[in-house]
Amino acid sequence: MCEKDSLSATLAAATCALLGTAIVAPVSASETDRWSFDSSLLYYGESDDRVQDVSAAIAAKRAFDDERYLNLTLTADTLTGASASGATALDRPQTFTSPSGKKTYTTPAGEIPLDDTFLDTRFALNVGWTQPLARLYTFSAGLSFSTEYDYTHLGANLGLSRDFNKRNTTLAAGIAWSQDDIDPEGGAPVPLSQMLDVGNNANKRGTDSKDVLDLLLGVTQVLGRNTVVRVNYSYSDSSGYLTDPFKTLSVVDPVTGDTIARTAAPGLTGPNGVYRYESRPDSRVKQSLYAEVKHAFGAPVLYSSLRFMTDDWGIDSETAEVRLRWPIGAASYVEPQLRYYTQSEADFYRASLVNGQALPQYASADFRLGNFDAITAGLKFGHHTAGGNEWSTRVEYYMQSGDVPDNQIIGNQARREQFPDLNAVIVQFNYRFGL
Amino acid sequence: MKALVVLGAVLLASGCASTVQPWERDVLARPEMSLDADPLDATIDDHIYFSKEASSGGRGFGGGGCGCN
Repeated sequence: MCEKDSLSATLAAATCALLGTAIVAPVSASETDRWSFDSSLLYYGESDDRVQDVSAAIAAKRAFDDERYLNLTLTADTLTGASASGATALDRPQTFTSPSGKKTYTTPAGEIPLDDTFLDTRFALNVGWTQPLARLYTFSAGLSFSTEYDYTHLGANLGLSRDFNKRNTTLAAGIAWSQDDIDPEGGAPVPLSQMLDVGNNANKRGTDSKDVLDLLLGVTQVLGRNTVVRVNYSYSDSSGYLTDPFKTLSVVDPVTGDTIARTAAPGLTGPNGVYRYESRPDSRVKQSLYAEVKHAFGAPVLYSSLRFMTDDWGIDSETAEVRLRWPIGAASYVEPQLRYYTQSEADFYRASLVNGQALPQYASADFRLGNFDAITAGLKFGHHTAGGNEWSTRVEYYMQSGDVPDNQIIGNQARREQFPDLNAVIVQFNYRFGL
Repeated sequence: MKALVVLGAVLLASGCASTVQPWERDVLARPEMSLDADPLDATIDDHIYFSKEASSGGRGFGGGGCGCN
């Protein structure tokens, strides 16, 4: 296309864009002295009465002169339900001491044990500030805080970006640090200590904490009038208490694979098998490479991304995501979404511990550190109101399925379910508005 | 290795990119073309996947700040 044609087309497109979107433009954050809000209500529900989460969030953005912005996000979560403890299924009912050490719960024969004693409410606040520094630099800073019954998080982050090449290229760097304190009811268990009777806290210690340092380097590149791509490299270094205080492993017979039976002390209640609390290394380094692209095919917009992650726990993961935003009329759109995720198990992932063998230094039967694939399929529908606001709703289905390495399955374990599938429904409602 | 291939492909693509002039940004300026068009959706997704999987982050800083993992 010659330059004259190109300029004509550009002016025509710009004129159409201005006229066409005048009514349906979403709340503009670029207007100064204005607040804009993005709110959401989320339901996350796993099948088989496992974790249920209801979450509400509101993000407020205040625009000031000279492209300076204040961002505030407040989130409240309520979690209930049951979560896999890590213990293996057995042909008899299994009784466990709850993480608090104050009561027991029992899993029916043949079922993978779920700890149903968990209930939590979480509040999180994020504050961020963004402003230009000189003509081509943008600076950002943020603080994050969240609190739960037994967990407190405090974090800070800084970011700097610079535009090049008529703002077609942006290089960005960021650093974030956080400290999390954990204070489980009854104390955090000593790693690999045995689960004891109710009221016996000899295997518990006090509070613990972890620090996380994140570094991020990114480049955003405009590839043409319809395409933009971003690539990020992330480095994350966690240190401290990285063990999950609620996860356990069964100690099993080396031939049958059945959990070793145990009897509570006279007059006490407690576990009817031998279980040990998990143990993870006290440091973890993760590295990831993330690439995303957005391309407009006329009015429809395609988003796709890839992420590769590796860490020094032996976990490698790959994530691919694609979404296609398809306009319906002048004010609505529909957006099918698909995500695929796969990960390998951690080096210290163990389905169970073998009775009579020396304890490993680290061991976890947490399925989240296991070998699994996951698919999320969803659909989003959005509508711009005549007043310039936007509502949208999103429904997704998350399916996770994994397996235990064959060489870790012992005796009778082979005929029992080892790695439970996880299916969850996610329903979200969003409303964006301005004041 | 795969990561290097992706990085190489992107750098190659960016090297081939023609410069888009400020007056040619009509499409790129559409809100849905922003790489951060739906920040609340991204935050929610990061939180869910951080709770259920061993990976986090990538798009920005990793998820965190909860006792769910």
